[in-house]
Amino acid sequence: MKRRRSLFLHLSQIRLLAKKFALVILFLTAFALMLVNKTDTVVMDKTSGVATGVLSPLIDLLVVPARMIAKGYDYFSDLRQIHKDNIKLREENRRLNTIYDKFRSLEVENKLMADLLNYVTPPESTFVTARVIAEEGDAFSHSMIAYTGDENVKKGQVALADKGVVGRVDKVANNYVKVILVTDINSKIPVMVEDTRVRGILSGDNSTMPKLVFIPLDAKINIGDRIVTSGVAGVFPAGLPIGKVVSVSKTEIAVKPFSSLEQLEYIKLVNYGLEGVLSDGDNVSSGETR
Amino acid sequence: MSDELNENILSLFQRLLPFLTSVLLLFLSYVPIDFLLLNSIRPAVGLMCAFFWLQHRPDLFNLGTVFLLGLIDDLISMAPLGSNAFEMLLMYVLVNNTSRLFNAKPFVVLWYGFAILSLVAMLGRWLVVSVYYSQFLPLSMLLFSYMVTIAVYPFVSVLLAFVQNNLIKEEG
Repeated sequence: MKRRRSLFLHLSQIRLLAKKFALVILFLTAFALMLVNKTDTVVMDKTSGVATGVLSPLIDLLVVPARMIAKGYDYFSDLRQIHKDNIKLREENRRLNTIYDKFRSLEVENKLMADLLNYVTPPESTFVTARVIAEEGDAFSHSMIAYTGDENVKKGQVALADKGVVGRVDKVANNYVKVILVTDINSKIPVMVEDTRVRGILSGDNSTMPKLVFIPLDAKINIGDRIVTSGVAGVFPAGLPIGKVVSVSKTEIAVKPFSSLEQLEYIKLVNYGLEGVLSDGDNVSSGETR
Repeated sequence: MSDELNENILSLFQRLLPFLTSVLLLFLSYVPIDFLLLNSIRPAVGLMCAFFWLQHRPDLFNLGTVFLLGLIDDLISMAPLGSNAFEMLLMYVLVNNTSRLFNAKPFVVLWYGFAILSLVAMLGRWLVVSVYYSQFLPLSMLLFSYMVTIAVYPFVSVLLAFVQNNLIKEEG
């Protein structure tokens, strides 16, 4: 009887202590989570993937009504713009038709040249269009969650929007994926300047414009230079447009992505058949620290 | 018996309402709606809810709830896991130590109070995450996010006040 009583007292004391130090315990838990996250274990990756799979459908439920309200507002505010846009689009269409004709002739010429040189073309890519259901962009991270409806999407696939690369798939859970944007602090993409072929790394820093780093000291980078993927490391194929240089200073070179990352409704998740250094369950990524 | 059961379920639901409304608003804050600037600069909805409920109904919004809300935010976001929870716990400590100053005060005073406390909580998180990445995160983004948070707070607080006044029955 005495033993039971002492045990009971003991447990209640523990509970009392836990209650008293709950705040400290929870603070320590938060720090412990950050530390474990930093070590980037497979368990953490999988846990986070499961959480994405559970929480994403709940957010998805809110997307339709929220967008309807926002679109109602947009409808009335856009009415004024429609006429101007129409004229602009006609002009653009005329210009694009000319470019298309040139492109067709170049394509034929390219094929003939490739046949002459016995060039082996790389395997064709496959893609899935995904609907963006959640987006975040603040001082702490830049990412989005998208619904794919396809379970064959893999970690490391390239996320493209209408004008170029926007990021890469970081987590896959059921039919949802978490995409890490090019502006995120964990994003490091091997790139090159399209005209001069100067290579470097496009490094996100959680601001709206990623920075060009690790470029040769004597390289000449000018405002307006187009930045495309270099294909080094084998995660992204070479030549995909990302953005253009908007400022060059002694300390940094800022690049503005071609696509507006905050206005994406749909993205294309492309599988180029490149395994690179990223795959599901891998801890090592192309310079990423997460 | 059935009435008693219904009453118990209703009571439980009402006790959970502060947490549920906070989670709902948190989810909504992630929805890309392309409306004004809200896509590029997300307000810290978790902090707003924590401040409101800790001021008005601390009995229904305790330490565990604050931590859980932060953890959910962490799981949706790509920020380091635990950093949101840390920010929320910081807010909890700040509100608990200053609640006497804001008791039965007009809304404007509460708004000022939120502006100060949320700045401290956000800067605290900014510092911790900067240490995590071993580089300073852009302060301009934090500042914009802070300003949007302060601007949106009155609307969120009206919504939460509606829930508190109409949907949660007073004890006793």
